[in-house]
Amino acid sequence: MALFEAHELHLRFGDRVVLEDISLSFEAGRLSGIMGPNGAGKTTCFNVLTGRYRPDRGRVLFDGADITGRSPQAIARMGIARSFQLMNLFDEFTAFENVAIALPQTRRRGADAVGQAYGDAALVAEAHDILGTVGLGQRADQIAKSLPYGERRALEIAVALACRPKLLFLDEPTAGLGSDGRARLADLVRRLKGQVTLVVIEHDMEFLFSLADDISVIHWGQVIAQGSPAELRTNPWVKNSNLGKLA
Amino acid sequence: MSDAPLLAIEGVSKIYRRGLLNRTPAFQLDVDFRIDKPAIVGVMGPNGAGKTTLFEMIAGSNVPTRGRVMVAGHDMQRVRYGERDRLAIHYHQSYQVRRFSRTRPDFVMEPAGSSYPVVHLFDEPQFNTQDGYIGFMLDFFRRLRSERRLVFICLHPTAALHLELLREVCERFFFVGDGQVRPFADYGTITADPRVRNYLGALAV
Repeated sequence: MALFEAHELHLRFGDRVVLEDISLSFEAGRLSGIMGPNGAGKTTCFNVLTGRYRPDRGRVLFDGADITGRSPQAIARMGIARSFQLMNLFDEFTAFENVAIALPQTRRRGADAVGQAYGDAALVAEAHDILGTVGLGQRADQIAKSLPYGERRALEIAVALACRPKLLFLDEPTAGLGSDGRARLADLVRRLKGQVTLVVIEHDMEFLFSLADDISVIHWGQVIAQGSPAELRTNPWVKNSNLGKLA
Repeated sequence: MSDAPLLAIEGVSKIYRRGLLNRTPAFQLDVDFRIDKPAIVGVMGPNGAGKTTLFEMIAGSNVPTRGRVMVAGHDMQRVRYGERDRLAIHYHQSYQVRRFSRTRPDFVMEPAGSSYPVVHLFDEPQFNTQDGYIGFMLDFFRRLRSERRLVFICLHPTAALHLELLREVCERFFFVGDGQVRPFADYGTITADPRVRNYLGALAV
């Protein structure tokens, strides 16, 4: 059984079907990609997988447990973290503080946690370690607001990693990044591979094809294609597209 | 699924009149055909010819002025509103659009008797050669057909690519124009028709 499975998800908003029949499975230790054109239902699908929306039909299983309809908080506590298309950071806090706040031992402490965090050597070391993982080791004391866009995105991933997830969902991590930023983010994601199971929703095909172990293509609220990048590349239309030319 | 044809459009006309007082028709579309077996069907025609009206009548979101649309043996206008997309689903570009004007309560109506749509109507899907999605879209149409579904792809060709796609994936065609929906057995016959050639203009080779 895969670490995460979704079976025959169906969701409608009023008269509109947004997810018709989605089945996905993500194996532990792998990087699975979800891609699709604008309006295909990627983010809605993501929101069902991470508990923000409850599907009308279908089931979501994580680590053997049925998590369909559980709250996002409950799902997060089970070891699923997510990043957002729109970033969620405490802008007035430093990079270190953003990560320190997200560590489970800090959250248990409550209101004075941030002040105390600096006095806890183990916690400081762990936060720095995570910042190092995402390439922000030198940026620990900078205010989040002052970081360039690409580094804010890396910091957001650091915050998600601070929860020590078994599975990390990244929603359009390259959104708004230039080619330099994308290359740096690709390096970061490559480093995370193997340390944590990753599911990346991405509009940028090139990015996913270079990183993912397997890819599901979503369109019209359905999975229209599935396979490894090598398998998907055998499609003659893919070969003739920009993507094929890169191969 | 029953033995009934996947789709039977029986003596259907849709008439839009100029107004409540002026009853002269502003638009009329007459349709009558049936398709028994799974297929991928291409639909072409000028803007305003009635391609979307045809799709809406098949999906049950537009009420024919006369005649009836049967999907897998069900009269679409008698099926519960919320279950019509279990018979025929209308995808408008990337979104799935359905607006039903409800005139009768659901409890007097019939269930769809299907959990996954029988007829899939793709209304002007966006094909972009750059990103490679086309290949996955074409494979998806073929997969639906192999799962015994009926697939319609409606396009108003504006580039040679569009015709190339229709030729590659569709096995039969309809041309919507002058208030009629005319059937064609294959790509060769539709592109040989003078009316269609006139419509395609420079794209007709």
